[in-house]
Amino acid sequence: MKVTFKDISKQYKGKYALKDFSAELGNGICGLLGTNGAGKTTLINIFVGILRSDKGQVLIDGVDARRLGVDFLSRIGYLPQFPQFYKNFKVMEFLRYVCVLKGIPKEQGEKRAKELLEIVNLSDAADQKIGALSGGMRQRVGIVQAMLNNPDILILDEPTAGLDPQERIRFRNLIAKFSENRMVLLATHIVSDIEFIANQVILLKDGQLLRQDTPQALVGGMEGKVWKVTATDETVDEKLKCLKISNMMRDQNEIHLRVIGDEKPDVHAVNVQPNLEDVFLYYFEEGEQW
Amino acid sequence: MVRLIPFEFRKHFMKISIIAAVLLFSALNVVKIYSVHEGNSLLSKHVTGPLWKGLYWKMYKDFGGTITDEKIGKLMAIYRPLEQQTADLTASTTHDNPNTYTGNVYEDFHFFRWCFVNPMKYAYDYKAYAQRVVNAAKDNIAFYDAMDNPYEARKNAAVAELFQGRAITSFSYTEMYQYYVQYDFSALLALLICLYGLMSVFLSEKETEMDALLLTTKAGGAQTVQAKLIASSLFICSVCFWFWLLDFAAFSVLFGSWDGASSPLYVLEDFIHASLNVSLGQYAVVSALVKTAGILVFGLAFLLLSSLFRNALIPFIVGLSASFGCIYMAEVYMGSGRVLLKLVNPFVLVVNRELFRKAEFVALWGYPLPSYVVALLLSAVWGAVFIGGLTIAVRKNTLRKGGGKRVFVDV
Repeated sequence: MKVTFKDISKQYKGKYALKDFSAELGNGICGLLGTNGAGKTTLINIFVGILRSDKGQVLIDGVDARRLGVDFLSRIGYLPQFPQFYKNFKVMEFLRYVCVLKGIPKEQGEKRAKELLEIVNLSDAADQKIGALSGGMRQRVGIVQAMLNNPDILILDEPTAGLDPQERIRFRNLIAKFSENRMVLLATHIVSDIEFIANQVILLKDGQLLRQDTPQALVGGMEGKVWKVTATDETVDEKLKCLKISNMMRDQNEIHLRVIGDEKPDVHAVNVQPNLEDVFLYYFEEGEQW
Repeated sequence: MVRLIPFEFRKHFMKISIIAAVLLFSALNVVKIYSVHEGNSLLSKHVTGPLWKGLYWKMYKDFGGTITDEKIGKLMAIYRPLEQQTADLTASTTHDNPNTYTGNVYEDFHFFRWCFVNPMKYAYDYKAYAQRVVNAAKDNIAFYDAMDNPYEARKNAAVAELFQGRAITSFSYTEMYQYYVQYDFSALLALLICLYGLMSVFLSEKETEMDALLLTTKAGGAQTVQAKLIASSLFICSVCFWFWLLDFAAFSVLFGSWDGASSPLYVLEDFIHASLNVSLGQYAVVSALVKTAGILVFGLAFLLLSSLFRNALIPFIVGLSASFGCIYMAEVYMGSGRVLLKLVNPFVLVVNRELFRKAEFVALWGYPLPSYVVALLLSAVWGAVFIGGLTIAVRKNTLRKGGGKRVFVDV
């Protein structure tokens, strides 16, 4: 399975939400990383057909998605940004409804829904009303509905928004589990959502593609650009003003700063191992003042 | 698509708030019918005292059924003396007169006059009256033929055909129907419940962000819209039939009888020129169906509003205002000669006695069409316009055939 975005542009009131976006994705998890308003949801909406691009094409194995039409829709599983589903529906009832929407035969859908509920550890909640579920449980129902048709492409738009850390980790593991033999496009602005599970990362900024690479390559590209600097209460304010700081930790009288920059910020600065969060900060934080 | 309908019905209409509203309004409706009975019925103890009801049903055994000379003679044998005794207002006014039915001679006179003599006289005279209408219509046909006015000639021919052979051969208790056909309160309640229920049909999908999810599924586009339309229609029909059934049952129980169901519609004096030759029972069914059709048209308008907005309050206010506007317009033009202004308003179907109580025609390419047919046709046009508006207004997936004409514009 190969998905190609070819010169996609979309404008809202004269402002580009996406501009000449081109990328190629294959099987595995692809993290779509960008700040709020970077164009992630716009790209996903164009991908699933909710929005029409002003320009460009989405190709599925070389065929225009518009030519595939409904056949393409039956190959995707989609979890939108803030779905609340139907509060008066029970979990199983909602999944049966989605089966009908996706054209899945009744018995097959029932079996699949039960299997998926088992996987996401929601079997006990099958008869609970959706309105009574916690945010994390609701997101798990969300991923179950997206997986019902066993899609080739799973599209998740900010799936961990509003989840507590424990639920976020659990959800991340689920996505990793479901990524086998399919393409997962996961849009997020939370680096830890994709840091250890993504095979590919797309960095999107102001509607434009900044970088597309593996997390290892992106992190590798940051070698020599992340520094550990030690400051005191007297010097820390000045450093905060002129350096790009990704982390700050107090150790008794000393303050350890994690600094991102192309040049050594201090004679005593030492290079440290970069991570994906540093990559995010390097590309997205421009001259932020503390 | 058929499999989607139960889910759509469950999703939008099987809500505690809607069920509670139906139950509450049903209770309110019964109370209102009770007040209609208590405030108007000749057999209500609040209107005429405690004796009339029992006396009426006792006398009804004698005078009800086919009108015969024997029954008329027997009734007049009671009524004539009462009429003479009370003519100069010098009869005794005591309330314990043992030679009377009710204890008072004036009350006896009014009892027989209002409950038996007047309605029986109307029934007896109707045949001759209908024949006079037929004769007048036939004279008119000849006149308009001579004046080379084919439309008026055709209209009179329709009148003559409508009134030909009309007669009321039996006397029955029709007071219940007299008030039943004038009763509109339940229609207002049904309309309000439909407004409340239907407003969420498209809106709730946007509020829950489910619209995006629906659009990415195989049947989440046009099929879901169709399922919503059918589920909404089923909801409207269910609410309407529940209220019409409740009306009929409550009127029958409170008035004590639905005996006159087989009597012709024109047995009611207000329907002396009825545009349909049906029985009262049949009219109850026809009227219920036409009312339901009227509320269906309003329902489609509510659905269109629901598809246009993202916030529930504005469409609710707009829907309510539009409904009251139509009610006001119907009141203004009711009974007026401005037939088209009356018929173009779909509310005329909801308060449909105006369409059936008189033989009124509208010229269409030189042919007279009964006003109820025109009202139904115009309402069908409104319905088609609202459905057309819906197909334009609902979001579509750009990947579908014909999709993308309007994909993300919501007011």
